[in-house]
Amino acid sequence: MSFDVLFSQFMSGIARGALLFLVASGLSLTFGVLRVLNFAHGSLYMLGAFLSYSIWKFLLMPVLGFYLAAVIAALIMGGVGMIIEFGLLRRLYARGWPEQLLATYAIILIITDLVKWAWGGEFLSIPRPRPFTGAVFLFGFPFPSYNFFIIILGLGLVVFLWWLVYKTRLGDIIRAAAQDREMVSALGIPIPWLFTWIFVLGAAIAGLSGAVTAPFGSVALGMDIEIIIECFAVVVIGGMGSLPGTLLGAFIVGQVYAFGILFKPELALAFIFMVMAVVLIIRPWGIFGRPER
Amino acid sequence: MEDHHIEGKDSWIKRGWWLILLIIASFLAPTVLSEFYLSVLCEALVMSLMALSFNFLFGYMGQLSFGQAAFYGLGGYTVAMLLTKAHFNFWLSIVAAVLVAALVGLVVGIFCVRLRGIYFAILTLAFGQLIFTIVFKWHNFTGGDDGIQGVFPPELLKSPIAYYYFILLVFLVSAFILWKIIHSPFGHTVVAMRENSERTEFLGIHIAKYQLIAFVIAAAFCGLAGAIWVPFYRSVAPSYLTWIKSGEPVMAAILGGPPIFLGPILGMFVMTFFHAWVLGFTVYWPVVMGALILAIIFFLPGGILGFAQEKVRQRKERNHQLQKK
Amino acid sequence: MLLETQEISKEFGKLRAVSRVSLGISKGDIHAIIGPNGAGKSTYFNLITGYHRATSGRVLFKGKEITGLPAYRRCRLGITRSFQITSIYPKLTVYESVLMALLSQRKVTLTFFSPAKKFFREEVWGILEDVGLADQASTLGDSISHGDKKRLELAVTLGTEPELLLLDEPTCGMSLEETEVIMGLIKKLSVERGLTILFTEHDMSVVFGIARRISVLHQGALIADGSPEEVRASEEVQKVYLGGST
Repeated sequence: MSFDVLFSQFMSGIARGALLFLVASGLSLTFGVLRVLNFAHGSLYMLGAFLSYSIWKFLLMPVLGFYLAAVIAALIMGGVGMIIEFGLLRRLYARGWPEQLLATYAIILIITDLVKWAWGGEFLSIPRPRPFTGAVFLFGFPFPSYNFFIIILGLGLVVFLWWLVYKTRLGDIIRAAAQDREMVSALGIPIPWLFTWIFVLGAAIAGLSGAVTAPFGSVALGMDIEIIIECFAVVVIGGMGSLPGTLLGAFIVGQVYAFGILFKPELALAFIFMVMAVVLIIRPWGIFGRPER
Repeated sequence: MEDHHIEGKDSWIKRGWWLILLIIASFLAPTVLSEFYLSVLCEALVMSLMALSFNFLFGYMGQLSFGQAAFYGLGGYTVAMLLTKAHFNFWLSIVAAVLVAALVGLVVGIFCVRLRGIYFAILTLAFGQLIFTIVFKWHNFTGGDDGIQGVFPPELLKSPIAYYYFILLVFLVSAFILWKIIHSPFGHTVVAMRENSERTEFLGIHIAKYQLIAFVIAAAFCGLAGAIWVPFYRSVAPSYLTWIKSGEPVMAAILGGPPIFLGPILGMFVMTFFHAWVLGFTVYWPVVMGALILAIIFFLPGGILGFAQEKVRQRKERNHQLQKK
Repeated sequence: MLLETQEISKEFGKLRAVSRVSLGISKGDIHAIIGPNGAGKSTYFNLITGYHRATSGRVLFKGKEITGLPAYRRCRLGITRSFQITSIYPKLTVYESVLMALLSQRKVTLTFFSPAKKFFREEVWGILEDVGLADQASTLGDSISHGDKKRLELAVTLGTEPELLLLDEPTCGMSLEETEVIMGLIKKLSVERGLTILFTEHDMSVVFGIARRISVLHQGALIADGSPEEVRASEEVQKVYLGGST
């Protein structure tokens, strides 16, 4: 196999990993702090994508339209997140995790139908926004420059989350809450408030990620399930609730997918699950995760 | 376990009369039901079998499997392929389907039983999706997203009514076997593992081994459910293996009441008939289902039967206190 | 010797929790392990029951080596423990809890079709009578009193028909009367069922009240071993323990 094929697969794996990190970071953050595995995270991502499409169409702005639509979609999804946390999840924290899981599963069903009703079952897409329409040459090989936009966005999110979690007062609370919820309560920090904003942040990031996938031409029903399964693989491999773990997991899954396609396209997803199964068997809590309790 | 009191022999008929009535009613059902509702009833029975086997793991062992559809689908595909491609004997095909599901359950189970709680749910989900992907993408062998059509039962079971009785019998026998297992020493051990796995281990129980056996049993019954459904529906498709399908027994169990044997059956009947009824005037079934799930979680904690049981218990306690006064 | 540990050690990273302890427990004895907090009592217990693996040294039961066996295998051989923090089945009845132990001990847990409740009625009732829980047989584990939970724990432990019974702080958190009752029970079981009992306890009146032999651990090492009188007389023990800060 020649170098250019390997290199181009590697780069597309990086881009895919960046996208996966965008989505999975919100899932992981929510789980780390709220201890709720949000099955509906992929649905928030899908809704964000559809919303940004409609906003983009409505704005009719040639250059800024895409970016503006993405930001607005993210903000709206933040609001949706607030409704979900405030209206539903908040009442379920005292219940067992199976009920929480089922509640988020119900949200999937509701959002799916909502999207079907509002947008129908067609494939939608937004053209690549300027200045990311062309190709970039790396070592003489062309790559879609939009992939670099995704990678930059992913890196930006890494830096932002790293700053948020490790450098701010809120971050101290987030990390404390991930370890010992009672301790944070004892410190006099209002947990419900923290939970709401974390969920809102996760939902907004999901919405933003959905919006930026629109130029890949994959805005359609079913994109929620597709992404959430891969995100599960990411957070399980990296360790649920761990930011570095999510980054590593996203990188691994992106690469496995890119090279899996090269090897046997039908089984790309299967390879991801194999990696996931192996990790779970060796380290049931993921590479950077820590055991429950 | 649902019966804490120590039973007396003579009370059996007294307590079980409604069950006998239900079984008699189910045998008479084809005489009153339209063909449409008879097929809905068939589906409800088949899915109830799946829900029962799921709940053996969830309600009794305390492990939520989000990948049961894989075994259901494998059972269905095995029967479909043996009947259409190998022109195999119908009865042997059913047996083969159960064996295939159990065997795959054994392999998947070896990996999964090491995990607990949400991690078990995710890993079973992942294995389920893995099996789905293989079936979906392996076009030459499984027909890919077209599935397999023209799966016919033998002459004896060609009519819907005859097949209904076949499904009913399989369901009743399977439910009885599962009930026996749950109340056997093995079932007692499984419940004890749910209640306190550390304690149980110190009583000399090798936890992983028992979880694996339970997982294989559940996989086998799921496979059986898929195997008897496909010849009735005449076809099989990859959607039988999706996680949406895996979610159905989870919903049914929580809807009906997981720690109660009949809970998932009731849950599945409510869901299936509700589904058939709602489809009469809207295609937006999932949103109705989603709202129903949320309503149950919020307003009927413990599920329908769990909620009813709690109410009955409260009333008994109140009567008891009144008598004391 | 029913049980013997030879030069057994356990290290957690740099911390040496148990350090080369050699000790024999003879059949039918009531044997207490004492020592200040952090002396390694619980770890030593865990090495015997198989909850922890020894870093070095050997554990022998009835002359056979069991050092590497997992907990459930040791239980099958006849070594059972109770937990310091009461570990019961919250949603099983008292009867069902004891039944579970017997099902496991008599190796019928792989029976799939006969009702569990038909098994070992006499044995379960016998144990429940012995520990005084017969009248609460159909009460759920989490709705009985704290003292009764300790009894239940003991009853479940007896259900495994052990030869060697390890009790971790059997009277922990009990009132004076409850403690008396449990002590009497332990004595009675030792005589009637021919049990060998190894226990840890911080209440010295309990220790000197029922133990026939006492071993003292300090910083993971065995510093004294003998009859209650001998231990009471030992200068080293008095220095670190009895006369010390406690």
